[in-house]
Amino acid sequence: MAFKRKETVIEATDLNTIDAAETEKRIIAGVKKYATNEANWSSADANTPFLGHIIGMGIESSNLADITMSIERQFLTKKTTRVPVGANGEFRLEDGELGKLRILDGQDALAATPGLSVKMLMDFGHMASDPAYLERVVSFAYISVVGDGHKMNEALKKAVSRAEKLTGVEKDEAAANVKTLAAQALAYEALLADPAALAEARQKSYAADKAAHEALSSELTMAVDKLAGATTSNDAGRVAALRTEEAEIKTRLKMSAAKLRVSAEVAAQAGKRSAAEEAKVAQIRTLLSETIRLSGC
Amino acid sequence: MLSAAETAQLRRQALWSRLLAYPTYALIIAMGRLRFGYTFKDLERFRAELWAKLDAHPGPVIWAANHLTMIDSFLVFWAVFPMSRAGQANRLPWSTPEYRNYYAVGSPLKAAAVRTLMYLCRCIPFLREGEDEASVRWREAAFEKCALILKEGGSVFVYPEAGRARNGWLDSRKPKDFLGRLALATPGAKFLCVYLRGEGQTFATVAPRRGEAFRMHAELVDGVLPGETTPRAVSERLFTVLAGLQERWFAGSVLSKNCAGNDVVDLGAERHRENFDLESGEADTDWLTRHLSAKELSYFSSQLKGSRFRTFWMYFAAKEAAHKAFTQAGIMTPHGAFRMIEVDLFRRKALHRPTGAQADISFTDADDDKVHCLAVLRGGSVGDADQPGDVLWRVEEVPSGENPGDFARRRLLDFIAESADDIPSAALLAISEDDGLPRVLRRGKLQDWGVSLSHSGRYAAYSFMVS
Repeated sequence: MAFKRKETVIEATDLNTIDAAETEKRIIAGVKKYATNEANWSSADANTPFLGHIIGMGIESSNLADITMSIERQFLTKKTTRVPVGANGEFRLEDGELGKLRILDGQDALAATPGLSVKMLMDFGHMASDPAYLERVVSFAYISVVGDGHKMNEALKKAVSRAEKLTGVEKDEAAANVKTLAAQALAYEALLADPAALAEARQKSYAADKAAHEALSSELTMAVDKLAGATTSNDAGRVAALRTEEAEIKTRLKMSAAKLRVSAEVAAQAGKRSAAEEAKVAQIRTLLSETIRLSGC
Repeated sequence: MLSAAETAQLRRQALWSRLLAYPTYALIIAMGRLRFGYTFKDLERFRAELWAKLDAHPGPVIWAANHLTMIDSFLVFWAVFPMSRAGQANRLPWSTPEYRNYYAVGSPLKAAAVRTLMYLCRCIPFLREGEDEASVRWREAAFEKCALILKEGGSVFVYPEAGRARNGWLDSRKPKDFLGRLALATPGAKFLCVYLRGEGQTFATVAPRRGEAFRMHAELVDGVLPGETTPRAVSERLFTVLAGLQERWFAGSVLSKNCAGNDVVDLGAERHRENFDLESGEADTDWLTRHLSAKELSYFSSQLKGSRFRTFWMYFAAKEAAHKAFTQAGIMTPHGAFRMIEVDLFRRKALHRPTGAQADISFTDADDDKVHCLAVLRGGSVGDADQPGDVLWRVEEVPSGENPGDFARRRLLDFIAESADDIPSAALLAISEDDGLPRVLRRGKLQDWGVSLSHSGRYAAYSFMVS
């Protein structure tokens, strides 16, 4: 017996009949059962992260795929015609009959919030682009940056609170920890103040991913070279093994390229700052400054 | 025994490589410096200290180094050997590269060029695979050639690990016997142990990235000590020396040495069951393919229907634990890209497919309610049924009303304090979240303890690693 989902049947809506705000509302409603932070979920907006407990909805990573599938179940699209890309059974979706929405592998890599999920649907042509809506959506790069800031702020607050309860040598050691955390927070606050410095920091991740991609390309070159050598030696078993190795490296190379695209986009996003992002950054900078002040460092 | 023809062939190669030692050396340096932009830190000091020891030992030397890339032999040679000494024929090491990796590659022209270079670089092709008579004979002949070279006072370069370390970590608990055998066959030989690694080298690759700066440590130690009568005894000591050099290398590095992760999954949580029909063992195919690779799906499907639910969550916990271990090493995985990490439940390995980095995994605390997995990329061992590993962990139920993340953090610090004699109280520790990664602070300093936190439904889990 094939698997059958136990849930209320949802009537899917054509994405071209609703606007971005309505789509966002439905996406938030669709993930309710996965959200473990009820308060953050009930006040969620376009820029509330799905993951994380401090400012996020508290969805666990084990339900990440469920977020994407919940979006797929709720909407219909005209991008339903499969156009083959390459020889490995991969395809892209082009206009066709109205049908089930399908989010392909890797397309949801940056969809960390309801707003970014709506942007994903726009980027892949499932709904019309709405520049006014997108103005309000904080990029993936800034969602990560702000999320890290909140984590850092919580860590400092907790350390300060622990240190306050101590006396003597214990207090001195705990104070040293607070001092380090405050220095980290201060450095992060300064980094947030400078979009260029932030972009440079993200460029380092991109450079590391690029180096890894190049390393894997060299691995493929080596496999191709070995295959050429084995072909001339007429060793059928060896040739078959090397063909398998070559195919595996090509698959890995595609994944590496997908990873590189994500880090390239994050690096590019970190260099720009919209009004919505500026507001989020200002908010976390204020929080950090206040906690640093309270720490007495 | 080597045949007369094999011995003559070896002597001919020795002659040609000696005659062309300077141009070959110049070619290697030019390629490394001009094409790849490689540099070495503190090279002059390193060579001066090392050669003071080598000059005091005129006898044979077995070079033994860690192995991360396909061009390590050139890099180690370049680091150790100044050009002024290229004329010292007995000091120029012979090496044993895998035949299939170097001798039958590319077009006939390319293959010929590579073979010529390998010939002049004193390479003795080696066949690591194959148990047929010809392969075994090939290996024996290579061993005999190495032994002959050493008996005549020469030098031989062998990788003790026998292959590139996919996790980027030399594991002293897995010694191989080849070097021990070689040392026992040539009692006067000493081991030149070298640990060389680029400052940004996080995993095994074909070649280090362009512009890489290398740092190295070396020791010259006795080949065989009194009382060592088996290859394993010699190799164990050699691996311990190399592991010590590795420790010294990481002590001077910005890279984290201890990279481990853990993950717990609450099997009772309703939201973990909605894609499964527990009675029939069926699962939503679309959902499965978003998490599992083709290989993993095949294994999943081969399981008895009653155990598929647990098998899936074992895969998931392993992927999450490995993801955390990889992240600590700077090897990132995009949001939700579960298929980028491929888990082999039988071999207990997790492969980061975009980079080829590989972590060891281990399942603990298994019962009907939960799955818990540990993963170690480097820094020590994840442990197995016979040997305990270097990771300490706990899985606990989260008290009602407590934030699971806060609970895991608090209990981790308690656990570390309980486990360490010199930390009287958890209050002396704090958790830093710099760069989004949890790390423990003590006396204001970040500790390289590979800490990891996890929570799922009713459970929280935490782990740390000290090696």
